[in-house]
Order: sequence, then C-alpha cells, then structure tokens
Amino acid sequence: MRSCSRVRGSRVSSLADTIETEAGATARERALVAALADETRRSEVLIRIGEAIGAGGDIDTIVQTVVDGGVELTRAEFGAFFYNVVDAEGERRQLCALSGAPRSAFERFPMPRNTAVFDPTFAGEAVVRSDDILADPRYGQGPPFNGMPDGQLPVRSYLSAPVVSRSGEVLGGLFFGHTEPGRFSTADERVVAGVAGLGAAAVEAMHRRNETLAASEAQRSVEARLAERLSFALDAGRMGSWALDVDSRDYEASDLCKANYGRHPDESFGFADLVASIHEADRARMTRAMETAIRDGSDYDIEYRVIWPDGQVRWVHARGRADSIVPGGSAKRMAGISLDITDRRRAEERQRLMLNELNHRVKNTLATVQSIAFQTLRTARTPAEFREAFEARLLALSETHNLLTRENWEGAALRAIIDSELEALGGVGRTVVVPGAEVHLTPKAAVAIGMGIHELATNAMKYGALSVARGLVTVHWQVRDGMLELDWTESDGPRVETPQRRGFGSRLLEKGLAAELGGSVELMYREQGLTCAMRLPMAALEGKELA
Amino acid sequence: MTGDCLVGLRVLVVEDEMLVSMLVEDMLADFGCSVVGPAPDFDAAMALATSAEIDAALLDVNVAGRPVFPVADALKARGVPFAFASGYGAAGVEGDHRGAPVLQKPFRQIDLERALTGLMTG
Repeated sequence: MRSCSRVRGSRVSSLADTIETEAGATARERALVAALADETRRSEVLIRIGEAIGAGGDIDTIVQTVVDGGVELTRAEFGAFFYNVVDAEGERRQLCALSGAPRSAFERFPMPRNTAVFDPTFAGEAVVRSDDILADPRYGQGPPFNGMPDGQLPVRSYLSAPVVSRSGEVLGGLFFGHTEPGRFSTADERVVAGVAGLGAAAVEAMHRRNETLAASEAQRSVEARLAERLSFALDAGRMGSWALDVDSRDYEASDLCKANYGRHPDESFGFADLVASIHEADRARMTRAMETAIRDGSDYDIEYRVIWPDGQVRWVHARGRADSIVPGGSAKRMAGISLDITDRRRAEERQRLMLNELNHRVKNTLATVQSIAFQTLRTARTPAEFREAFEARLLALSETHNLLTRENWEGAALRAIIDSELEALGGVGRTVVVPGAEVHLTPKAAVAIGMGIHELATNAMKYGALSVARGLVTVHWQVRDGMLELDWTESDGPRVETPQRRGFGSRLLEKGLAAELGGSVELMYREQGLTCAMRLPMAALEGKELA
Repeated sequence: MTGDCLVGLRVLVVEDEMLVSMLVEDMLADFGCSVVGPAPDFDAAMALATSAEIDAALLDVNVAGRPVFPVADALKARGVPFAFASGYGAAGVEGDHRGAPVLQKPFRQIDLERALTGLMTG
C-alpha cells in the first residue's frame, strides 16, 4: 500500500523527468495513466462518500460508505468506524461500522475505549500510523494485541484517525489495519484524515437531525398534552369550543359546542346555522359584537338566547378572540368557547324576582305600619295611650312575621297564630281554645287574622272577660262547606255595653278583615260577654283561589 | 287651591291589604271623597271598574297575586283617570300604563291628594 500512496507525492517529479528525456516515454506514459487512474479512483471514492452524506440517508449506510471508502483508499484489509450516538433517551452509545472483516471477527475485540493504543484517537489528538503495531515501542506490548486469540484480526499495519467535529468534540474514530507490516504511508495519513473529516460531517449531520427530531417530538408531545388538558378542561367545564374563518365563514364547532345549541355531534352546524339558532331579539346584537371583534381584534364576549331545534330556549355565553391579526388590524380567524348558562340566568332571574318581592313586602309592611300609626293616633286620647296601643299592635304584627319567617313565609297554622297573639298578651291560661280541623293560612291571611285576634284579646284584657279574674274566653272553630267558622266567646266578664263609637279594632274586624278575606265578621255586644263570629272562605285563607 | 276639587269625588280603591285600604279610606274621607270598594281582589276590582259610578281610581299594582293592568285597561276605556299604588314603585308598572301616576308605598296623605288633584285637573 505504501507504494500506491506514494504515487501522489512522486507524481510531479515524474512528470518533470518526462520533459527531460524522450527515452522513457512509454514508462512515463504508463506511470501517468496509472497515476491518473489512481487519482480518478480516489476522486470517485470521495465523491461516493460525499454523495452518501449529502443524500441524507440513514446513518448506518453513510458510515458504512465512509469506512468502505477508507479501506479502499488506504488498501487496508479491514477498517472500523466507531462513532458515538445519543439516542432518543439521551443515552450515549458507541456504534461500529466494519469493513473487510466479518463482524464475528470483532466479537472478542476489546472495547476500544479500554485500550491504550486507541487513546490518542479517542482523545481526538492525532492520526496514528504504525508499520507494525506488534513491534511498536510507542504502544508497549500490552493487550489486546499480544493477547489476541488466534484468527482474530492479526493486525500489523495500523492506521487510525480521530473523528472530530468542527467545534472540537470527539465523535469517534476511524481504524484501518493490515495483516502485513508497513502497508500504510504518510500519504495514507492525509487520506484517512480527509475521510475522518467526511465521517465527522456525517455523524454531525446525524446528530443535528436527531436533535431536530427529538425537539419536534418533544414539541409534539407538549402540544398533545396541552391539547389533551385543554380538551379535558373544556369538557369538565361543559365548555364547547369553536373557530370561525373570517373570510370563508367556515365555522368549526366541538361536540359540546354543538350540544349548547341542541345539536348532535354528527349534525352539521355551520355559521349560518349558528346565527339562525340565536333568538331573534338577540341576533342583531350578536352579529354586531362579532363584527366589532373581527374589525378591531377586540374580545368577543356575549350572552344570548338560543332556540334549540326542539323549541327550548336556552342561554349561551360565547367568548372569543381574533386568532391572528393582519397588519390592517382585522382578524383572519376567530376562536373561542361557548357555555350553556341557562341555570345561572334562571338563578339570576329568581334572585331578581325575590329581591323585587322582598322590596314589595317591605314597602307594604311599612304602609301597614303607617296605617296602624295613622288609626291609632285617631283614637288615642293621650300620647301615652297612643304609644301603648301602637307598640302593642306593632308587636302583634311582628309576632305574626316571626311565625311566618319560621315557616319560610309559606304560611302559618291558625292554631299557632291564635296562641302567639294570646301569649303576647298574657291571656293563655284563661282562654280555652277548642280547635277544629287544622287550617293553614297564607301569609296575608295570617297577618290579617293575627291582627284581628290581637284586637279581640286586647279589648278582652282592657274591658272584657279577661279584665276580671273570673272571666273566660273560648275560641272555637270548625270548617264547614268550605268556610271557616270561628267563634270568639267571652263569658263571666263585666257587663257589656254597646260602645258609642267604633274603634280601630271593630273596624279592622268587621270591615277590613271581612273585606280582605271575602267573608263576614260580626261583633255582638251581648250583656254576658262579647262574641265575634268570623265566617271566612277557606279558599281565601289557604290561598286556593290562586292555584 | 287643593282639597276642594276632590270633595264628592267617587274614588275606586283596589287594595288587598286591609290595613292599607283602611288608611287610604281614611285619607280619602279627609278629602271629602267617597270610597268605592275597597276591592280586595281582581274580580271585585274588575266588576266595580266596569260598572260602578266612579270619577277616579287608585289601583294597587298587584292585587291578591294578580296584576291589576286589565282593570286599568277597563278604566281607560271608560275614560276614568287612575293612579297606581305599588310597593314596586314606577318599575312595577307595565306597558301602556307607564305614563300613569304611581304612588310608591308608603305614601303621605299629601302625595295622594296631589295625585288625585292631578288626575282631575290634568
């Protein structure tokens, strides 16, 4: 091999000689042809390696081309290309491409890294050439070469070059061997250095490709995870997602988005369908909001009613934003979410109604208190009398409200109303209540009857049966033919006289209560005691007429 | 100025709260008005609105759970002026009747007097 390698070095002087002497023409021609052929072959090998790298095929093919080319150029008997790779898991591994010897010949070959003679190569230091590696004092007599088993690559001529990247990183090493000593020349050193350069380019290209692949793989998996998480979050939040191509009006809706409009996943649902499904009263507002968001690239955020194909009216909250903004400022694509907010809207509506109702009740109660004050003032003879009567009536009203509040303002039992008014006045022990059927009063009826009982009890305490120790009151009721018949009967009290003028109490009972509850209330001033006969329709008391 | 023009006026009162209707009755009596009703529910109100001899009306917007507006329509058809009384205030008045005077409960006697005077002179 040494002679071949020298052809390149001696070629110029041989050609110079040719000019001097005509006699050696044939020999010179032959040398010239041989040199040319050699040069052509060398070029072809290098071109083949370059092409393999340039073609960007798989790394095994490329490194094989490199090591085969090296063997061919140096006329070695075998060659090996050890190169480092970093796999997808980030592990560094050393691979090997072989030439001129079966892989089995290397089976018991020690790992190159552990072998002293390879050190300069893997350290990236220099090309190493030895005419006889077995006798070379530089590398001592150590294993593996001395201890190499019979038949295992009996290398004598040895040539190696580190494969180093442009940045100085050692990527691997190229090794060539021959069973005869003295086969490699200094020219071969330059050749393997060149081949090593090509090998470095090949390995580097592979590393770059792997890194790009790994990065895009990582990117893809990050994106996949994000998409999965987003989809989960949207599903968990019952959110649909949608996208609109501004120019083509192509509209994509997720399954949940379609569901918000009462559509099945396999039903088509385009932009025209979307607009058509929006409640007439909200449609213009929706299209305006969409146009504004597209024109200004501003947020799209709107709540509107939609009519489902089955006729249901639902509320949907849609939000979106321009996906990409062109220099003019208008959106090319809108994307966003949609959410069924019917329950929330209904709750808000309920709350609004309840607040209105509360306000209504408070205002009515204030008007009631105003009325009590107004009328108490008309009948009171002194400020002290006014205060006493007014406070007692206010407390009677308050007692009824307490009862109603305990029942969530759904009403109160007649028995409870009577007991609480009697108790407030200390008349419980001397009143016999003979209850009839349970009667559940509406809040309004409870307030009215509560006030009525309060007036009766107050009168009894001040002027009637309860004003003397032996006096007694009987409260008896029954329900007959849809009417409540309630009788308040006083006995054993002072002698009763028909009053000269009617006070607040009698007016409230005979006029107010009777009118409000659509029945009759009659006060009878009998000598042996006052009686009050209430005849009130159950429908008004229990609120059945509203049903 | 005030008061005299109300004397003898027949005023329909639609009010389901007995204490409030008693108050309104007293106020109207002070003006020299005579009270028609008071009607404690929708049917009674409608009957009086369509057939009773009345010069003006004070209508509770919500009478025993029902909106009073059909009664207002009947009065309008007869050319009888009316005002609303409501715990909801002006917000409780719907539709064609938004222009009618509204007394928010509780109201003063003088508010009622002004409202009625407005109805009879406006």
